[in-house]
Amino acid sequence: MSSEIKLIKYTIKKPITLRYPSSLIPEKKYSQIPEGLRGLLQRDNEKCIGCKACHYSCSGKATTFQYRENKLIIETFILRCAFCGYCQEICPEEAIKLTKTFEITINNPNEKEAYVTTELDLVKCKNCGKYFATKKFIDKTYQRLIEKINPIIKELVMNDYKKIEEYCTDCRRILSIKLNTHPKKYVWLEG
Amino acid sequence: MIELLLIIFISFFLGLFYSFLIRKFSARLQWRIGPLIFMYKDLRSIMGITRIIQPLYDIIKLFGKRTIIPESSRKRLFIYSPYISLIFAFTSIFFIPFSSIPLLSNIPYSIVIVSYLLIGSLLFMIIGPIASGSPWAFIGVRREAELFLVAEFSFIISLFSMAISKNSLIIWEISTKEFNLINITAGLLMFTSILGKLHIKPFDMSEAEAEIVAGPYTEYSGKLLGIYYLTKIFLIYDFIALFISIFTPINTLPIYLSIPLFLIISIFIIFILSIIHVLNPRYRIKNALIWYIKIISILCLINIIAMVI
Amino acid sequence: MSENIINRIKEIYPNGLEYKISGNWLIIKVKPEELDKIAKIMINLGARINHITAIDLETKGFEIINVYDITHANISLDNITNIIFKANISKIKPEYPSIGKITWQAVWAEKEIKELLGINPIGLPDSRHQFLPYEWPNPVESELKEIPEVNINGNYLQLKMPIKEAYQSLIPIGPYHPGVIEGQVVYVKVEGEEIVAADIKTGFHHRGIMKLIENRGYNRGVFLAERICGVCSGAHGLAYITCAENLFDIEIPERALYIRTLLAELNRIHSHLLWLGVVADVIGWKTGFMYTWGLRERILDIIESITGNRITYGIWRIGGVSRDISQEIAIKAKRAIEELKEEFSKMALEITNHPVIKSRLINVGKLTYQQAFNGGAVGPTARGSGWKIDVRKDNPPHAIYDQSIISWEIVTDEGCDSYARMIVRIKEVLVSTDIVIQCLDYLSKRSGEIRTKVKEVPSRIEAIGLNEAPRGELFYYMKLYENNNLLQAIRIRTPSYRNNALIPLMLIGCNLADVPVVMGSIDQCLACTDRIEIIRNNHREIMSWKDLVNLSIKMSKKKGLL
Repeated sequence: MSSEIKLIKYTIKKPITLRYPSSLIPEKKYSQIPEGLRGLLQRDNEKCIGCKACHYSCSGKATTFQYRENKLIIETFILRCAFCGYCQEICPEEAIKLTKTFEITINNPNEKEAYVTTELDLVKCKNCGKYFATKKFIDKTYQRLIEKINPIIKELVMNDYKKIEEYCTDCRRILSIKLNTHPKKYVWLEG
Repeated sequence: MIELLLIIFISFFLGLFYSFLIRKFSARLQWRIGPLIFMYKDLRSIMGITRIIQPLYDIIKLFGKRTIIPESSRKRLFIYSPYISLIFAFTSIFFIPFSSIPLLSNIPYSIVIVSYLLIGSLLFMIIGPIASGSPWAFIGVRREAELFLVAEFSFIISLFSMAISKNSLIIWEISTKEFNLINITAGLLMFTSILGKLHIKPFDMSEAEAEIVAGPYTEYSGKLLGIYYLTKIFLIYDFIALFISIFTPINTLPIYLSIPLFLIISIFIIFILSIIHVLNPRYRIKNALIWYIKIISILCLINIIAMVI
Repeated sequence: MSENIINRIKEIYPNGLEYKISGNWLIIKVKPEELDKIAKIMINLGARINHITAIDLETKGFEIINVYDITHANISLDNITNIIFKANISKIKPEYPSIGKITWQAVWAEKEIKELLGINPIGLPDSRHQFLPYEWPNPVESELKEIPEVNINGNYLQLKMPIKEAYQSLIPIGPYHPGVIEGQVVYVKVEGEEIVAADIKTGFHHRGIMKLIENRGYNRGVFLAERICGVCSGAHGLAYITCAENLFDIEIPERALYIRTLLAELNRIHSHLLWLGVVADVIGWKTGFMYTWGLRERILDIIESITGNRITYGIWRIGGVSRDISQEIAIKAKRAIEELKEEFSKMALEITNHPVIKSRLINVGKLTYQQAFNGGAVGPTARGSGWKIDVRKDNPPHAIYDQSIISWEIVTDEGCDSYARMIVRIKEVLVSTDIVIQCLDYLSKRSGEIRTKVKEVPSRIEAIGLNEAPRGELFYYMKLYENNNLLQAIRIRTPSYRNNALIPLMLIGCNLADVPVVMGSIDQCLACTDRIEIIRNNHREIMSWKDLVNLSIKMSKKKGLL
């Protein structure tokens, strides 16, 4: 009997129920969101270079990409997104950020709001006329190449890259003999 | 005659208010908010000013739902017993005095009538589910019946010990006689029986949802369940009003004093019931029976001693 | 030194085809016909079965893998914690002698093998379906070429009741029942309110997560592993990471280890508080439910502020963790935890002394030490029966659980009933808060690396990862293809998978009102598990181990196998 009565002292307490949403006023609507909440992802269209790393690292297979005419479209289907934050971690340009938006319920999965979409302009291949990569991506690849390459062959590679820059991957292979850019020649240079 | 019409509304709204209070008290004691007395200001235009009649909203909602009658049930018994139960509970409000207004309680043998009506109401709460044919209902009913027997025992002993010691079978006469020791002992006995009859924890084993789904009311839905809920509203009023009018000297007071006093005492009783409801888990039926037999035998003994004195 | 160990194990079991030591595990290749003999030897030595599983090696047939835990056995093999016995069987005749007839620990595991891979363990005591409905024809047992149409109105094995037993009534608790939150059926046969027989059937939400992880790569698998269970997601994450890191064999920075410990223990606290609430709800005490869940909310807030999510933490990475804890949050969290500990320890005292709670829990769901050992109970269920096993000490995951660095102890209770399990869990919450406070002390004072670079290629071909989830021992096993470093198979055994198998044993002799309490007392997590079922006959007495073995022999004789 005694501990039943002792429990009374726990009954006197302010209710811990929080009102949700805490107000109808939009600014005060969600006052309980902590710092660093992993919510809906946001992709910065300016920073994004279209490397598709977020697609290959996506744990829920939510991020997909497709080539449509002269555009590269990267889409994240938010109903599949698990908010793991792995794409944010892996993105080389820090273009992806998880925001604090957490109310993402939508009625129709075909709606535009169901996707976080990034559209990027593609460059035309000089040889075959196929759209193959973004300008930023080509530039970035070039920069990376210079940073990491063996200094002995640096100049040679830089020259070669300038030659093939405007061709798509298939044409680069086909034209490699004609333009004398086949990578095999670096092998003996490096030793 | 006008008070007989008025008491219908008064008892209905008091019953609603009491079941609201049980919900509100137990919510606040459990660190919750519960149904709001004053709605948030910015939501008043949508939700209304108050939620005091939330129990009524629940019943109205049930009336709007489809009623499903199971194939395996005894249909007539299944359908009519909620109504009979409601009629019994409803009729008994006229025979219980309401704060120095005698109503019909000064007719001869009114104590017998009231006890029969209340027993009848609870009995049809048991008979209806039996007719439903659900195994959950059978187990629930079995528990309900066992509890009913022990709770009824203390209920009857308490009522008739009052009748014997006050030398009358009329509720109005019993309630207006002078207050003495027997009022307290018999009142305690009555209180224990109210715990069982209103399914206050630890005695809600017949509705133990974790064990037997909804117990007796498993197969009831829609209107029929609404009728049972309505019956409970009247039953709460019946038991509280009977308790106050018989065991407290309230009916000897003038009406302008007795009505507020009635409200205060009833809210206090509801508060005590809520605290018991909140602090206890549910007993097994076996434990409950043992508890009842233990407590009743002690209280009866004290009661008899008090009667002799 | 390794030769020394191999010589010693050869004294115990000399017939192995190949002996190998890899990390803390001893891997022995054996003939499939000897698996039951080995099981007998190991069980007699006091070893415990972690898991029994099989892997499809495509054209090479099947590989049966038996993992034994020898930390509590009467063998001393220096630092060896687990012995893995492997046997190859052909696909033409996928059979091997059942280990389930030796010990109950293996029965559900072998049923899983049978159901998922079509291997037939000869002499398995309970050969009914694990995931499929009982009425479904058994292609392994009967020599059916094709599956015939299923008669939906067919014979329900357990629901049939002879007229002479009409005084009993059969009550199915589940698949959808307010007392059991997730889908499972417990059939109980009651006389009045007393239970005379019980049976359990799970398999209502098998999601095939193991198969999904397999083709997802090491890094992405952890997010799926976390989603196996909502309550012990942290434990699943840690177990996965431990297993994967054993595969790569890498060192993890100290600060990351502390963060992992912190999160795993916060996970344990919130899971135990949740459990306490569920049990309170099940015995009809809504107030207790509200109070403990109210306290749990604070833990979730701490987790949210650390990881950015409340349930799935998503910060486990191979080689460390992805987020650091700032000093500010560490100090804030420490204050909150200390407050919670003070409040909870006082409240727990009142809860454990409450007469009605005592009357509902004491002597309900009895599980003696011997039953727990034979049945292979894990976690608080085993510790509530006085069996001092804890993976955190025996076979620690990749986090800080060294008792010389962090002071903590294993909680056991000799009560062997639901009340003892409650006491164990309440004490574990207090122990966990101590660990959390020590971790936060370290984290708020020092700084350092939280992640190391992972090697490109795994250095082992198979690995096991164990972790003490709130419900008990969690087992992960990974195996790679022999030629291309990709994941061939992953096997997960959750703690509830073991403990659920003991429910019918605990139920017999209880009151109907105790069924949810007993089911709740082992803290079953069906989302984790979903793979369990057991059978008892209509006898009032509990079947002993010998009875079951005899029964299985009788059954095998009937079928002409013996």
